[in-house]
Parts: sequence; structure tokens; C-alpha cells
Amino acid sequence: MHGRIKVRTTEEQNLQKHKEQQKKLTAYRMGMKQILATRDADSYNKDSLALSAQLLTINPDIYTLWNYRKEVVLIEIKKSYQDEVADDQKLIHFFEEELRLTEQCLLSNPKSYGSWHHRYWILNHHTKPNWQREFDLCNKYVSLDDRNFHCWDFRRLIVNKIGISLADEIAFSTERININFSNYSSWHYRSTLQILNDENSVANDLILVQNAVFTDPIDTSAWFYLRWVLSHPGITKIQKEDLLNALEQLQELEPECKWIIMAKCWLVKQGNLEKDAICRLKRYYTELIKLDPLREGHYKDCFKVF
Amino acid sequence: MEKKDIFYPDTVPILLYNKHIEYLKHVSCSSYGNSYDFKSTESIRMSGIYWCLTALDITHSLKEFLQKPANNSDSISEEERIVNFLLQCYNPDGGFGAAVGHDSHMLYTLSAVQILVLLRKLDLVDKHKIARFISTLQQVDGSFAGDNKYSEIDSRFSFCAIACLYLLSLLDAFDLQKHPSSPFGIDTNKAVDFVLKCQNFDGGFGTVPGSESHAGQVYCCIGVLTITRALHKIDTDLLAWWLCERQLPSGRLGGLNGRPEKLPDVCYCWWVLSSLKMLGRLHWINKEALIFYIRACQDPETGGISDRPGDCCDPFHTLFGLAGLQLLGAASELQEINAVFCLPQYVVDAIEEDCCLDQLRAHRDKNAK
Repeated sequence: MHGRIKVRTTEEQNLQKHKEQQKKLTAYRMGMKQILATRDADSYNKDSLALSAQLLTINPDIYTLWNYRKEVVLIEIKKSYQDEVADDQKLIHFFEEELRLTEQCLLSNPKSYGSWHHRYWILNHHTKPNWQREFDLCNKYVSLDDRNFHCWDFRRLIVNKIGISLADEIAFSTERININFSNYSSWHYRSTLQILNDENSVANDLILVQNAVFTDPIDTSAWFYLRWVLSHPGITKIQKEDLLNALEQLQELEPECKWIIMAKCWLVKQGNLEKDAICRLKRYYTELIKLDPLREGHYKDCFKVF
Repeated sequence: MEKKDIFYPDTVPILLYNKHIEYLKHVSCSSYGNSYDFKSTESIRMSGIYWCLTALDITHSLKEFLQKPANNSDSISEEERIVNFLLQCYNPDGGFGAAVGHDSHMLYTLSAVQILVLLRKLDLVDKHKIARFISTLQQVDGSFAGDNKYSEIDSRFSFCAIACLYLLSLLDAFDLQKHPSSPFGIDTNKAVDFVLKCQNFDGGFGTVPGSESHAGQVYCCIGVLTITRALHKIDTDLLAWWLCERQLPSGRLGGLNGRPEKLPDVCYCWWVLSSLKMLGRLHWINKEALIFYIRACQDPETGGISDRPGDCCDPFHTLFGLAGLQLLGAASELQEINAVFCLPQYVVDAIEEDCCLDQLRAHRDKNAK
């Protein structure tokens, strides 16, 4: 439903499209009918299972079919406990098939809640889950689209499961940020890593984020992170003064950049507001209203505090 | 770094009110059921019906539509057809699926209850059974799963649960904080605690604790906090600022995105606007620029609204575009919409009256004993 450009098509193109659509609909209707008719708590039909894979590959949002597949997996798990001859391999093969299906679905639709959840659910039931492989999958998808929040959420789940150290994840976060400063998701991830522990780490992150905003002041991502770092009680007076001076210099190069003035507001606002600070803030908010008229309502409310 | 931007036209049409009614009637009527767009979206059908009917209602066209004969036959009306469908989606576990034969899910249970409330047909279902279904979805940490089997957790489901119970007038009755010895219920304190854990460094909210802030999740979380009267627990100004930063200048247009460095989309106009309304900061975005954006997303040929200018329209974006315009005060033709539930205000008012009536009834019964 998103990002479908309205294109004009010829009658012939319409006919062709209609034909293809009817084919898909027939497959869906007949497939669903068969799958739901053969759905059972204690046994499953192999053809139905295969059909569900076909339908999900085309549309991974048919959540009922992911549920159906989970039921089948549970039946297989139960069977393997009851079998006299333990056949670990058969069950593992089954799990691997599920994972392969989700991977296929994710290739064409990397943002489907159903696919990601099914994968995680399978891994939780898998007798021999390969967490390293999952980690690699995460990295692959983050490289393809570093704003895919499903992938970041999945990573968080995996990290918990295999007990990756915080230090490793901090290093990963630094690496991602250095690859691309303009990645809100990377900055957000960093904020969840309990990173602002002591004066040292606060100072380090201040340098990291300052570097980012000065390299590309137009991108908004790092500015949000800067605001957060500056709100930490461990920021020293000298750090604030140094940053303020640097921002003044940056403003000469980028006079149209509202974020620089916003950052000055964050710095000046902290602590007791003396008359001089209030004067400066009023001046900053006036400039902001000129540079960033969309948010005039917000800036006017900022004025009211004085 | 070059910034992405949308295509935007030089001129922007006025609100094409009658065109949208035409579009909505077209996509809502039974004969549209033969189209590909309709059939291929079966797994979200219940929500689709809710979007269509709500949009019809705020354009004062619902009553007339419901009375029309379905499938051009005289036997049943569109309303009866919809109600029949809904009841067939009402599963033995007390929840609703997206369509007939589809499993119960929190998302479609909310949509179903929203439809029933809109149609004033809640008496057709066992409200307590639905509430019991919802209560089985709450986890130990206060979060809600999407279904009672596979535990997908998402703050959207917290909103669905709380909103649903409220619309059923059972939020109080099923609140374990108020009735600790009740066999069924939800722990509203824990529900709120979970939602608060979803708050991030930027003041926004994500899917689960640790997830990136996203305007859709913000709407859901703020919805929970509004209904449970827990908004005072968050930094309102910080969140409202993150929300107003969603507005992007594109010429005269000022659409809203869902999170930083993303393109604007009409549905975010709703999630962001309604959140700002709940936070009392609607004036923090530029109304005129947003109104231009939504109006630029209208389809002058078919009616309906799309996510971006020039894209295909659909009922989802049509509802949220219209609802957004109403919240902005740019469409006096439209019925007032309630920001928390995305239902006409008069419908939500009637629920509050029902709540009061129930309380009065209980009080009277108590005194009569």
C-alpha cells in the first residue's frame, strides 16, 4: 500500500495484468481452501504444507499460514519425542526448511513482521540453532538496509540468546556509525547499550557525535544523539564551552543550519538561567523561527518558559 | 549528503469531498469484492472494513451506504452483509480473525470491535468473552502478544488490548488493579510499565524495549497512556519535539514522516497528529503546510488519498488523510474524529455514556438490595 506510483497503462497491459492477477487469486483461493480444510491438531497434509510455502512466498503477511506452519512444526516435534528410534536429523532438516522459507520470504520482503517472527520462533524450538549464522544474516540485512528496524530488533534478540558482550556490540555500533553517520538506527542502537557509564565514555561519545555533526551538519540523526549526550550530568563545563565555541565556528560555514542553533540552546539552557543566558536563548529562538518556520509553534512555546 | 525528497506538484486541489465519498462507496460496496486489490488483501480484511466504514462515517455517508442492498440484490443490505462477515470471523476463542477461517489476532479483534461500535451492534457478541480473550494475551512483563499461541510481542498490541477493553466498556471491570481477586483481567499498571520501557533516548517509543522510535508505535503507546491516564509519567515536551521534527519542507508542502530521514507519508500525518493532539501540542506543527501535503495526495480522477503525491490511493491512506485534515480544522465538512481511537467523536462519546450508564445501573442495583 506504500510507494505505489500511479502509472498509466495501455489496454493490452491491463489485460495482461488482469490475467496474472486472476492466476494469483485462483492459486490463493484454492490454496487457502485446501490448507484450512486439512488443518488438524494431530496430523498434517504434506501437500497443504507445500502450498502454504508457495502462498507465503508471494504474500508473507498471511499470518494464519505462518500459524499453520508452526502447528506442523509442533506436530513434528511431538512425533520425534514419541518415535522409538530417535531421528534428530529429520527434525533438524524440518527446522532448516522453515528457516530457508523465511529467508526466501525476507529476500523479497525484508519488512514482513510474520517472516521475522516465524524465524525467531523456529530458532527457539530448534534443537541445534546456529546462532552465528543468524548473526551473519542480521549483518547482511543491516548492510542492505540499515534502517530496517525488524533486523535491528532481531539482532537484539540474538545477542541476548548467545550472550554477545556489551563491549562487542559497542564496537559494532561504532563501526556502523563510522561507515555512515547518517544512520539514525545506528545511533539509536548505541543509545540502548548502556554506554554513558562514566566520564570517560561520555567524553568519548561526545567526540564521536561531535565528529558526525561537524562532518555532515545537514543530516539530523547525529544531532538527536548529541542532545541526549549533552543531557548527561557527566558533561563538564569545559566540554560545554568547547562545544559552544566550535558550534559558533560551524555556524559561520553553515548559517542556514537550524541544528547548530538548537545545539547552542541545549548547551545554554542547562543549569540556572541567568539574565545573560535568557537573552541568548531568546535570540536563538528568534533565529530558529526564521530558519525553521515549520516549527514556529514549538519555538514560541520555548519562549514562554522565560 | 543529498537529501531524498518527494515529487510535489505546483498546484494543490481543494478538499475533493464528494470525490472521496464516491471512492469510498466504490471500495466499500460488495461488488468491489471481485477486484484484485480487495481479494489480495484478505489477511487484513477486518482492518480494511474498519478504515472504509470510519471514513464513510466522517464524510456523513455511512448510513446511506449501510442501507444499500448488497450485491445489487434485494435480500440483504450492505450492513447485514458486513455484520454476517464479522460474525463469521468471530472465533471460538473469543477473538476475531482478519477474514473467515483466519486465526484470532489482537489487531483484527480491535478492528472488529471498532466496527461493531460504529454500527452500534456490540450486543451481537459476547463482550465478556472478547475481554477474556484479550486478557489471556497479557504476558508476565505486562506486554501483550498478538495471539494466544505464538507470543509475538509488540506495543501495538498493548494499544489494541487497552483500546478494545475501553470500547467494550470493560476496562474497569477487567482491571486486576481494581478487582484483584477476579479470575480474568489485565494488570493495567504492568501494561503501562511495559509501554514506558519502550521509551527511547529521543522520547519516542518503539515496538518492544530497545526498538527504534517510530511514529506508529508512538501513537499506540501514547494511546495506552492516555486511556490509562498515565501521560504524566513521560517527558511530554521531548516527545512532542521529536514528533514535530517529523515535518518536512517540500516547497509549500509539509508532510510528516514516521522517523528521521524517511520520506513523508499521509498515514504518519495521522499517527503524528493524533499523538500531538493527545499530548496537547498540535500547534507544534505547521498546519497550513501539512494541509497542503494531504491535499496534494488526493487523486482527482478517482477520489481517495495516497501516501504521497502521484501514488495510488487506498482506503487506509484515505481514512488517515481525511482524519488528519479534520484534526487540523481544515475540513468543516467532516465529522469530528477522536484522536485516541480514530473513530468519530460522537461514537466515542456514546461509549462514555454507556460507561456512565453501567455505573449508574450498578449503583442503583446496589441501593435496591
